[in-house]
Amino acid sequence: MNSIFNDPGFWHRLQFGFTIVYHYLFPQLTMGLAWFLVYWKWRALRTGDDKYNQAVRFWAKIFGLNFAVGVVTGIPMEFQFGTNWADFSKYAGGVIGQTLAMEGMFAFFLESAFVGALIWGEKRLGPRGHFAAAIAVALGSQISGYFILVTNSFMQHPVGYQIEANGSLGIASMSAYLLNPWAFVQFAHNQLAAIVTGSFVVAAIGAFYALRGLHPIQAKLYLRAGTFVGLIASFLVAFPTGDQQAKMVGNHQPVTLAAMEGKFEGGPMAPVALIGQPNVATQRLDNPIEVPGALSFLAYGHFGSFVHGLNDFPKDAWPDNIELLYYSFHIMITLGTLFIILMGFATLQNWRGRLESSTLLLWVLMLAFPFPYIANTLGWMTTELGRQPWLIYGLFHTRDGYSKVVSNGDAIFTLIGFTGLYFVLGVLFLGLTWREIAKGPDEEAVITPHKEAIA
Amino acid sequence: MIATWYAVVSFMLIIYIVLDGRNFGAGMLHWFVAQTPEERRQVIAAIGPLWSWHEVWLVGFGGTLVAIFPRLMASAFAGYYLALFLILWCLILRGVSIEVGGHINDRLWQTYWDFNFVLSNFLLAILFGAAAGNVARGVPVDAQGNFSMAFFTDFNVRGYVGLLDWYTVSIAVLAAVMLAAHGATYLTLKTEGPVHDRCEIWAKYLWIAVVPLLAVVLIESRIVRPDLPGRALFNPFWWIGLVVVAASAFTLLTGLTSGRELRAFVGSNFLIVGLLATGAAAIFPVMLHSTLAPENSLTAYGVASSPSTLLCASFWWPIAFALAVFYFIFISRRYAGKVSVQRDTQGFY
Repeated sequence: MNSIFNDPGFWHRLQFGFTIVYHYLFPQLTMGLAWFLVYWKWRALRTGDDKYNQAVRFWAKIFGLNFAVGVVTGIPMEFQFGTNWADFSKYAGGVIGQTLAMEGMFAFFLESAFVGALIWGEKRLGPRGHFAAAIAVALGSQISGYFILVTNSFMQHPVGYQIEANGSLGIASMSAYLLNPWAFVQFAHNQLAAIVTGSFVVAAIGAFYALRGLHPIQAKLYLRAGTFVGLIASFLVAFPTGDQQAKMVGNHQPVTLAAMEGKFEGGPMAPVALIGQPNVATQRLDNPIEVPGALSFLAYGHFGSFVHGLNDFPKDAWPDNIELLYYSFHIMITLGTLFIILMGFATLQNWRGRLESSTLLLWVLMLAFPFPYIANTLGWMTTELGRQPWLIYGLFHTRDGYSKVVSNGDAIFTLIGFTGLYFVLGVLFLGLTWREIAKGPDEEAVITPHKEAIA
Repeated sequence: MIATWYAVVSFMLIIYIVLDGRNFGAGMLHWFVAQTPEERRQVIAAIGPLWSWHEVWLVGFGGTLVAIFPRLMASAFAGYYLALFLILWCLILRGVSIEVGGHINDRLWQTYWDFNFVLSNFLLAILFGAAAGNVARGVPVDAQGNFSMAFFTDFNVRGYVGLLDWYTVSIAVLAAVMLAAHGATYLTLKTEGPVHDRCEIWAKYLWIAVVPLLAVVLIESRIVRPDLPGRALFNPFWWIGLVVVAASAFTLLTGLTSGRELRAFVGSNFLIVGLLATGAAAIFPVMLHSTLAPENSLTAYGVASSPSTLLCASFWWPIAFALAVFYFIFISRRYAGKVSVQRDTQGFY
């Protein structure tokens, strides 16, 4: 107890972790939803069927709410680099600041300029202009994702940097920094995971309307698109992107891989644990149910490949919360597998024409939407916990990164402040989203003409 | 190179202040110029679709500051810890009140959010004003280049100063009045009907109030930082800033007296840009003046990234800026024209 209150690093980490996890609940939906909007807008252009326009109008409102909360919770993230992680910024600002600024200037300007046009500009812009606005917003969200993942990838796998005369980091090669191989894999994995969230939410609202017997045409549209896209994305998020991501961890951060698997002793024919709890005190996995050789095969391509265990590394190189890391990784994988099964079954039922009439499946689809949020969060926890004790892998320790001039009490105070503020924000967001869902897509294609007058 | 980047980073912050400043101003006046619920929706609709675009300038500024002047960003942001979180929370509150107010068509609900909207904008104007005052006056930077400060100490401007003292408070008041005047000028241009007529009167009185406040702040600045004017005389940007101030003051004055609203608003924008640019030029190259010992002060040359890092940034920044200008043109065309009560207040906002 005393040790936690005396460790400012803990509070700075907790605050950053809390604010980023909360923030990322919103962009993951907008990044995923953006492609649905582009797709439906494109279908509307091609077929002239107004049901697609209705879908775009409805989902643009949900998108707008998420976007607004994403904006207001996102701005503190950037400022915390200076307020809470001043020593890290001092050390690596010349490198990571580049992509933080580029994210703002290349992505957020684009997104925020066109998001209003997407939500209210349908009549004014015409079908083609509105389609272009949807593409601009989707593009902006992807660019933003890429730049922030380049920043994170640098922390996982630093490339393109040089150490300056004053000991801080500078850019040696901008192209090497921006084209970090880690970033490509992470970007693909992360964006697909965002599409999983988007498709589950779309399917859940479709299932809700179907169970209620409301808006049947729209419900069918959401269910079909949500389950099919959900199947493709859930599959791709596991293979090849998730697989590649794990291989990269295995190659560049072998100690992280050992901790993710709760593997203390190294060896060939390394198993994957389906069930089991790592016990750091006794240095073993409790009640394991394992698939022998699977980890060797997945990580290095052969069942006989040697996989390092935690004991092959000095203890101060171990991630500092092995249990949490292990659970995060394993629950993410389990959820990811269940997503493929659920969406695969739903797609099958859809082909057989039984999706809208299968009450049980609709219930499951309706209630499943929180799980991709959990899986996304756990994926990020795996990434960030796995990198510990490093802030920049191999270069800079997390304990060296926080602001030494900020007192413990100040950090705790602002953390409590964020907790309260974000609770209120969450209640508001859920309430207003619920109102939009309850109102539903307008059947008779009413678009607010008064809004257009501003345009 | 470093001087150019100092100008660029200052420019981004100034753009943010002048763009979001209109929202702060409009927000502060919200309850005074708009009296019926419909009129209040009209004011929100006048700033509604663009506030997030304006806030992106703050994000762009923050990121660029980390990349170009990492040690300044680290020292200043950690030093201003609580004050910055107040700003961030007010920005959250402000954004939320814009977005959720119009979602439910209910008197009580909207009154509540309108109140939060006024309060958060008022606090933001005061806080940004006090922040500007802190940059001008300096902060207790120690020999390691760090500082941490209380909200207020003895209200004096030397030694271990606090965030608030007589000088920074007077700049905060000036900022609130000037941004309110700026907001009134914007709303005059952007609205029609009773809100327009009230804003027109408010704008005139507020701009008149700015004159003595500005004079007081200038005299105070001479007392607080006697070292500044001498150096500024040799900085061409300071002179350019002065010319911009003079020209825009004239534009604003003629715009206000002749009822040419766009002219007045352009003048108002450039007046704020000119004043802030003059200030930024006057303190250069010191970015954070130390009130303890001048040799502790953080200069642009001392806190900048390496030349190769700066060079990298000079490749992408102009492209990003050109794109931002392009979006600005798109936005200006799309949201041109006045916002009226009848047409615009039953929608999203």
